[in-house]
Amino acid sequence: MSSDTAMPLDEFIKQLESLAAEAEQTFQDAVDAEKLETARVEFLGARQGRLKSVQKSLGRIDKSDKPAAGKKLNEVKNRIQSSFEASQANLSCGQAERIRDLQVDPSLPGQRPRIGRLHPITQTIEELKDIMGRLGFTPAEGPEVEDPWHNFEALNIPEIHPARDPLDNFYLSLASKQAGLDSQLLLRSQTSTVQIRVMENTPPPVRIISLGRVYRPDTADATHYPMFHQMEGLLIDTEVSLADLKTVLHLFATNYLGEDVPVRIRPSFFPFTEPSVEADYYWNGKWVEFGGAGIVDPNVLKSVGYDPDAVSGFAFGLGVERLCMVRHKITDIRDLFTNEVRFLRQF
Amino acid sequence: MLVSRDWLKEYVALPNHDELVDRLTMSGLNHEGSEMVGDDQQIDLEVTSNRSDCLGHIGVAREISVLFESPLKLPAPQPAAAGADISQAFDVQIDCPELCYRFTARLIRGVKVGPSPDWLVERLQTVGIASVNNIVDISNYVMLECGQPLHTFDYDQLRGHKIVVREPAEKESLVAIDHNTYALQPGMCVIADGERAVGLGGVMGGADTEVTDKSCNILVEAAFFNPMCIRATARKLKLHSAASYRFERSLNSENIDWASRRCCELIMQLAGGQLAEGMLDVGRPPTARPPIEFRFPQLQRILGIAIPRETAVAILENLGFGVSAGAHDSDDSISVTAPAWRLDVNREIDLIEEVGRIYGYDKVPDDIAVPMAASVRSHEDRVMQKIRHAITAAGFDEAMTASLVPEAWSDCFTAWSDHPPLKSHQAMLGVLDTSWQNMPVNLLRRSLLPSLLEAFRINEYKQNDQVELFETARVYLANADGLPTEPIKLGIVSERSYGELKGIIEALVGMLNTQVVVETDECDLPLLDITESAELLLDGQRLGWVGKISPATQELFRLKRDATVAELDVGLLNHIATRVALHGQISPFPALTRDFNFIVEEAVRWGDLAKSVREASPELLESIRYKETFRNAEKDGENKKRVLLSVVLRSAEATLTGEQAEAACQAIVNHCKDRQGAELLG
Repeated sequence: MSSDTAMPLDEFIKQLESLAAEAEQTFQDAVDAEKLETARVEFLGARQGRLKSVQKSLGRIDKSDKPAAGKKLNEVKNRIQSSFEASQANLSCGQAERIRDLQVDPSLPGQRPRIGRLHPITQTIEELKDIMGRLGFTPAEGPEVEDPWHNFEALNIPEIHPARDPLDNFYLSLASKQAGLDSQLLLRSQTSTVQIRVMENTPPPVRIISLGRVYRPDTADATHYPMFHQMEGLLIDTEVSLADLKTVLHLFATNYLGEDVPVRIRPSFFPFTEPSVEADYYWNGKWVEFGGAGIVDPNVLKSVGYDPDAVSGFAFGLGVERLCMVRHKITDIRDLFTNEVRFLRQF
Repeated sequence: MLVSRDWLKEYVALPNHDELVDRLTMSGLNHEGSEMVGDDQQIDLEVTSNRSDCLGHIGVAREISVLFESPLKLPAPQPAAAGADISQAFDVQIDCPELCYRFTARLIRGVKVGPSPDWLVERLQTVGIASVNNIVDISNYVMLECGQPLHTFDYDQLRGHKIVVREPAEKESLVAIDHNTYALQPGMCVIADGERAVGLGGVMGGADTEVTDKSCNILVEAAFFNPMCIRATARKLKLHSAASYRFERSLNSENIDWASRRCCELIMQLAGGQLAEGMLDVGRPPTARPPIEFRFPQLQRILGIAIPRETAVAILENLGFGVSAGAHDSDDSISVTAPAWRLDVNREIDLIEEVGRIYGYDKVPDDIAVPMAASVRSHEDRVMQKIRHAITAAGFDEAMTASLVPEAWSDCFTAWSDHPPLKSHQAMLGVLDTSWQNMPVNLLRRSLLPSLLEAFRINEYKQNDQVELFETARVYLANADGLPTEPIKLGIVSERSYGELKGIIEALVGMLNTQVVVETDECDLPLLDITESAELLLDGQRLGWVGKISPATQELFRLKRDATVAELDVGLLNHIATRVALHGQISPFPALTRDFNFIVEEAVRWGDLAKSVREASPELLESIRYKETFRNAEKDGENKKRVLLSVVLRSAEATLTGEQAEAACQAIVNHCKDRQGAELLG
């Protein structure tokens, strides 16, 4: 009988190895519990299992080889068993041993670190800077307390101009009693002052934005505040025209609003630009005012020592509060400066 | 500027409403709205301050005629005059030629004052003006037609047979036709008769001499005043009229005669009467406009579009400009003379705008190739961004407060400068909570802290939780002369403890520069608690202050909660902030931790003790950590404390040996003993 035939150790080990490999593969391939169970019965079944049948061959091993054969058998048995368990764990995730402790409520609030918010005006300014930066405009800064030259004269606003009316500006003097002299200093009424300071100190080309606080003595109400923020852009080079202006405004609006929006320019009047225009963008079915702009007036170029026949440029300015309020649907400008944390934390 | 559609039609053919207002908007008269008034349509157009020529229907009609290339039909008033010349009955003199540039008068005798005909009433009604009587209505009508304000006097109420245009006498006053009495001030332009003021030139007439139902003889004034004077007068007296609105914007002096004739013609048509011969005309005659050289290539250079020369010339001619060959005999340029009514056009660049706006800015492309340029983000800008990110991560919301503050706030923190603050002649109105009882907000602030404490108070009052605010803004420190210095500060107000806020500042500084240590010095500032406060220094330079607010501050700002504040100089943070961090070799060898329990005098400050520890073994000391302070008077004696600290030692060269560690620890003990008299416990 074949069952009585002696089996060499090599042969036995080979059989075990191949059984183990086949079992591992089969367990691994079992995609559900049913298939895995079938495989278990096939390989590990107590009566008919294939491991059992190989085990039966142990009797045919030469006596001297038995310890080695037995060791190998145990090894393979463990291997197949753990392979089965691994597959079972993969499939069932060991349901039986996992008990949910209901005293632990994972929906309780976490220990939340408070993260503060940037002011919506700062967020708007950062976005404007970001967009204009991509268009090649470098931020420039200048003082908020200005002299009449930078706030008016150099901007083509002569002494007799209504914009210089003391009632329309915050003129300053030293609060000390002994300083009787009127300084003529004032809080800047527009950020164009920065353009003058940059042009006075930089030969063309110039490509800057100036951003910051400006001041006009309006009584604070829902739509006015005596302090607000402006962004102004300035580009001076040898050949700069209204077409450059319109293109930059178009790129800006497209960037800011996130899709291609039409822009238009229509005539307006500002002392420091000629031609002066009002720029609008078409948004939600209507034209929305964007800000004032124009070609830098030759008198301004002359006042900073540029030759208006050699260089030209455009400038544009817009109110940061208005952009911010439109974007966030803020209806009262005073809310921006009351600093209630319930307001600030919305943004 | 309100215009009537029917009225415009008298001068020019009109397209449909939408097309009309669209073209007007795109050429400079922004359409603000329209509404029906009876059968007529009122159209509201925004006229910029440079375009006084469009403050009358004719000016608007002229724009329309150019835009739609249809002819403009204007009245040519030729009132028939008879009898003796006006100069035989009346006289006009100007005593203040700087305030009144030109004054004209015509006289009509024997008018019949009464109601206006329907057409006139309706015209005025469309543009929102109520009918008074035929004479007053006509003067309003002519002003709205051509932009030149007129005034009609009851001739028989004028005393002394003359008009004197002068500055007011002392304590002179006028009862104007609104029946209010106005105190006249130097610099105003008074129209007087032989005895008294009968009108405020360019602003409003007087009640005594106004045209009434009983008036029979009428003096028609058409004049031209200094715009600055009119503006100042109207503002001082808070008396703004349709006339002052126009005179403020300056007017076309050449139009005066036409307006006067037109007014007289209509009066005779509607109220009868006989015009006296001649016109009294005193003051400067209109001056001729100098020609402007206009170079065609400039159109392309400024507007960015090619406009055919013939088109440009036609636009200018249609607008009323005179065009002739250029002075330089060149095909590239022409000589252009502006019409009298276009006071805003004096230079070549103004002509370019005229051609451009009529040709249409919609033809300017918005997709040309603008050259690329690299933009640079400054160090300061980057540091500011880092600061904002760190401080918000630490739980602070950003506040934004006004740069002007009331005196009580200005005086409560003057540590950055003891120069008095800059003072604004005008206060900011409506920015201060009413609980501050109308204190004028007129001083440029020298610290952000008072404004932040006010924001804190408002939040407390509104029962808001966790009020943690910061602001980065300028303060304004006056100099002996010239512009003030405007350093940027970081102000913080917090409900957290002194130690927590100080820790946040240390972390902030550490984020900007890992090597710099925040040092402290004693401070005594009224805003801050005397005990829990400190001046902060970096490398010996003043960074700012941190502290709990003092009871006095708490009272001033009516705070219930404890507040801790800090104000830091952003300039110094910029200065110490690392631009580009460099990698240093990280030691692969193990570290050793050692604890020290020192007994020191109560007055010994941690900052000094830590400095001694750091300096004792700079090569091996990796970090130092404060752990705790204990007091045990029984064992250690009065005024002593035990400070427990731990240090981490590590060598960059090798694993520390026991002897090396021992030597380093001994150096620390010795140093602290020498410097602070510290005794090691145990």
